[in-house]
Amino acid sequence: MTSVALTILGPLAAMVAILAIRYAAPALALLGVGAALIGAITTLVGVAGGARYAATLPGLPDLPLRLTATPLTAVLAAIVAVVSVFVILYAVGYMKEEGGKVRFFAQMSFFAAAMETLVLAGDWVLLLAAWEMIGLASYLLIGFWYEEDGIAEAATRAFLYTRTADLGLYLGIFILISQAGTSEIPRTLEVGGSAAFAASLLVLLAAAGKSAQTPLQGWLQAAMVGPTPVSALLHSATLVAAGAILLIRAFPLFPPGALLIMGALGGVTVVVTGLMAVANRDLKRLLAASTSSQYGFMLLALGAGSPVAALAHLTVHAAMKSALFLGSGVFQHARSSTEFSKLAGIGRERPLVFAGFAVAGLALAGVPPLAGFWSKDAVIAATYESPAAWLLFPLALVGTALTGIYVARTLRLLWKGEKQNEPVAGITWMGAGLSGLVALAVVLGFALEPLTRLVGGELPKDLLTVMLGAGVALGGLVLGWFVSVDSLLGPLRSSAEKGFRIGGGFEQFVARPALAVARATDTFDGGIHRGVLGVGRVGLGLARVSRLTDEKGIDGLIFALVRGTRSLGHRARRLQTGLVHKELLLAVTGGALILALLAIGTLAS
Amino acid sequence: MFPLVSVTLFLPLLGAALLVALPGVSTRGAHALGLVVSGLTMLGAAGMWARGAGAGFSQVEEVSWMPSLGAAYRVGVDGISLPLVLLTVVLFFVSFVFSANVTERARSYMALFLLLETASLGVFVALDAILFYVFFEVTLVAMYFIIADWGHEGRQRAALTFFLYTLLGSLPLLLAILGLYLGSDPRTFDMRAFIESPPLAGLAAMLAFIAMFVTFAVKTPIFPVHTWLPAAHVEAPTAGSVILAGVMLKLGTYGLVRFALQMTPDAFRVAAPYVAALAVFTALYGAFVALGQTDLKRLIAYTSVNHMGYVVLGVAVAAAATDTGVRALALDGAVLQMVSHGVVTGALFLLVGMLHDRTHTREMGELGGLLRIVPGLGWLFILAAFASLGLPGLAHFPAEFQVFLGTLRVYPVAVVAVLGIVITAGLYLRAIQTAFLGKPSERWHEMKDLGRREILTIIPLAILIVGIGVAPFLLLDVIHRTTEAIGL
Repeated sequence: MTSVALTILGPLAAMVAILAIRYAAPALALLGVGAALIGAITTLVGVAGGARYAATLPGLPDLPLRLTATPLTAVLAAIVAVVSVFVILYAVGYMKEEGGKVRFFAQMSFFAAAMETLVLAGDWVLLLAAWEMIGLASYLLIGFWYEEDGIAEAATRAFLYTRTADLGLYLGIFILISQAGTSEIPRTLEVGGSAAFAASLLVLLAAAGKSAQTPLQGWLQAAMVGPTPVSALLHSATLVAAGAILLIRAFPLFPPGALLIMGALGGVTVVVTGLMAVANRDLKRLLAASTSSQYGFMLLALGAGSPVAALAHLTVHAAMKSALFLGSGVFQHARSSTEFSKLAGIGRERPLVFAGFAVAGLALAGVPPLAGFWSKDAVIAATYESPAAWLLFPLALVGTALTGIYVARTLRLLWKGEKQNEPVAGITWMGAGLSGLVALAVVLGFALEPLTRLVGGELPKDLLTVMLGAGVALGGLVLGWFVSVDSLLGPLRSSAEKGFRIGGGFEQFVARPALAVARATDTFDGGIHRGVLGVGRVGLGLARVSRLTDEKGIDGLIFALVRGTRSLGHRARRLQTGLVHKELLLAVTGGALILALLAIGTLAS
Repeated sequence: MFPLVSVTLFLPLLGAALLVALPGVSTRGAHALGLVVSGLTMLGAAGMWARGAGAGFSQVEEVSWMPSLGAAYRVGVDGISLPLVLLTVVLFFVSFVFSANVTERARSYMALFLLLETASLGVFVALDAILFYVFFEVTLVAMYFIIADWGHEGRQRAALTFFLYTLLGSLPLLLAILGLYLGSDPRTFDMRAFIESPPLAGLAAMLAFIAMFVTFAVKTPIFPVHTWLPAAHVEAPTAGSVILAGVMLKLGTYGLVRFALQMTPDAFRVAAPYVAALAVFTALYGAFVALGQTDLKRLIAYTSVNHMGYVVLGVAVAAAATDTGVRALALDGAVLQMVSHGVVTGALFLLVGMLHDRTHTREMGELGGLLRIVPGLGWLFILAAFASLGLPGLAHFPAEFQVFLGTLRVYPVAVVAVLGIVITAGLYLRAIQTAFLGKPSERWHEMKDLGRREILTIIPLAILIVGIGVAPFLLLDVIHRTTEAIGL
């Protein structure tokens, strides 16, 4: 259990230390993720040897927090730790001449700690907490250069998009806990019936937001304004990966109907964002679109019923995509831009980095025997064997072709052009991080077999699809290298470049209406306040009127009563004249009257 | 046994009396006295926390007062009131630290705050309905003078609105208390007796419930009787806003639990769907109106409407729940939300007050880029804002999670209230973006970051925000012991 704790607490302690000491931030961050790596590997080894770890921590009443290390979570923790180490290693160089190192490395460490918590969480409350905290970490890191134009908007957009989708996770978790009576993840996944269907769609919504699936992909492109190591971490092992990780972990919950929806969503994303990648004029934005597309492949695999294929692609993609980002960061530093028009010829200028970048790219395209070939092959085979093959299989092939096209196009754009030979600071550190990940992108394919056996599954394989997949990938590469984008996409080019935005997109359909409603309610609220004040004023008015009526009315009445009594008394005085005979007469008459009344009374009864 | 509750309760009043008795005391002296007294009060409350609370009322202290009427001086705490007592003493202490910059008639200012502290504590610890009502009303008087004498430009009018609104609002409670008294046998004002065996039934109970609901709805506040809140906040001095939002709104929701829920449970159960609907509407409405604000203080005031809506939702769900576990869950969330809201909103009002002291504006459009110039203030604002939008690991998340989870189990439809967390995210991110991110304007280049007094004020709250978020069980253990024993 110590190893599991180390995985999370290593980077967390690094964050605290960085903030407290404010010195040697890169070294402390490296120490932190290094500790996490040791913890994760030890855990993985232990789990592979048959051990299982579980810890219960105090949380909410009846809903304690749990950490678990099962084969799946241990593998995921190891992936996160490995990528984090390489990315931070790279960042030491990348951030060499930037200010705000303390903030940067503290936030990166926090990011790693939150992500490790997410993958090792054994209950939904802790998972949700980590899920939202990686949202915070990416908000802060995307907004790292917050003084520059457009940065704050991009950070805000990333957080709002993902948080809106997170509502799905909140509601899904509420349903699962209510149905299962516990928040322990494995036990809630046994829920069946319509609750399972509803919960799985809600969970899918949340995952689609984080993994930038269509139509929620817009924020990921905008998020490219952050520092490149952030993008690398975000796309391969943390924020975006969290969506797919959630789906892999929640896979047993999904009934067939929900699986089909998930597969279709993944398929659409593969194609739509693949086209966007093909059309893009900016290297980092192309990589961002490619990320959505690759996570679409994972959803395809899951929809086809093979979480193992999805896990394989997630693992391999983590190495490939972070390598690609790290390469692009070197190019970015050399030319102070990521636009292809400014990057022409950078490949000749930095042949080593370009070679690493190209290897990772070809791996992503699925060229044998690089890592991406094996995992993509498994995904394609899974779609081929699934009951919904008619839908998922063609989409997977189209996606593979698109991947080939945009990888080849990128390599061509980077290679052709003039050299400029700008020096890049911190290249040693950057090179170290990059080469480690490129090496993984080459060899990781051979580790997939033992890996899948460890989590207790088998990679789908099919000779026909292997040939077909590799053929389509090579075809795509050839097309991308030799044919221009305009002739490939034709009329689709401009809308693909704009990200297939419908109308004004998020801005028009969500942000502006929400603000309009807000303003309307604000005006309405002012109306209520005036109304209440009006009622108050009416009350005061009534009081004034009643004062008048008091004076004229009630007081008048009282005075009238007084006057009446007095005049009565006045008249009564006239009777009492003091003359004995008259008074005697009155007394006798009175007495006679009383006697008469009494007599009548007794007679009547 | 040492009467710790009473001593803690009346210490501030004693301090106020001292201040009144010493007309010659200097500004510094008055402030020092306020600090010492509220610090001692905090120690007293810590002692109460150490003694702990069980399922029912504990640490009860009783002195006969009007035996013929069945009214007595009775105080004590349970798991619902004890966390609120802690919240109160912390917020008052912080307010005293912050108020070192008050120079105008400091003696009266400190005396009024001390009076207000006793009155607020009194509401939470009173176990006698008459005593409760007296404290409940005294808070009004003290707050009225604080706003009217130390507030901003439109203070007179705002103070009067606040006073009349809540005074008229509290009259029905008096009728309800009389009703409970007349229904009890033997006649008493002992709140424990009212809770033990609710004295009213049928129409009488419903009428009493409605009367209490009106009172506490105004105080909480709930739509459509919430409009005094932004008006009062905008004009109140910073420390006044902290107490108003942090402590006085809780009087409403605490009363809702203590009186409406515990003394007329059956009537509440009947009315629960309507109350829940109103609460959901209030929460979403408050969030939307907050989104429409450009004045930071008004914005925070309206998010209070949103957060208090969740509290009322939690209480309504608890009233309707048939399952004890669900009831405890929703009520845990509601009570914790009260504490979280006090800490988080207190911090936000303090930070906005500090900004206002520097810039003399609260319009976020006039600010901008401040994170570079005043990083301490900026990061603390970001922390408090993320807490307020319900980020896990910070104070609001555990409470809101419990309220929503309970809601789903009782009124699945009402869970639309969860939309509020997206709207509040949007409005806080917009506020952060406009006021703190981007390029700083020339105008604010000279601005100084937090001074020592300000750091001492805000850091305790920041620690509590993180502490409650990370270790909510420290409070929830105490709360839960009481809520799970509430049988309605």
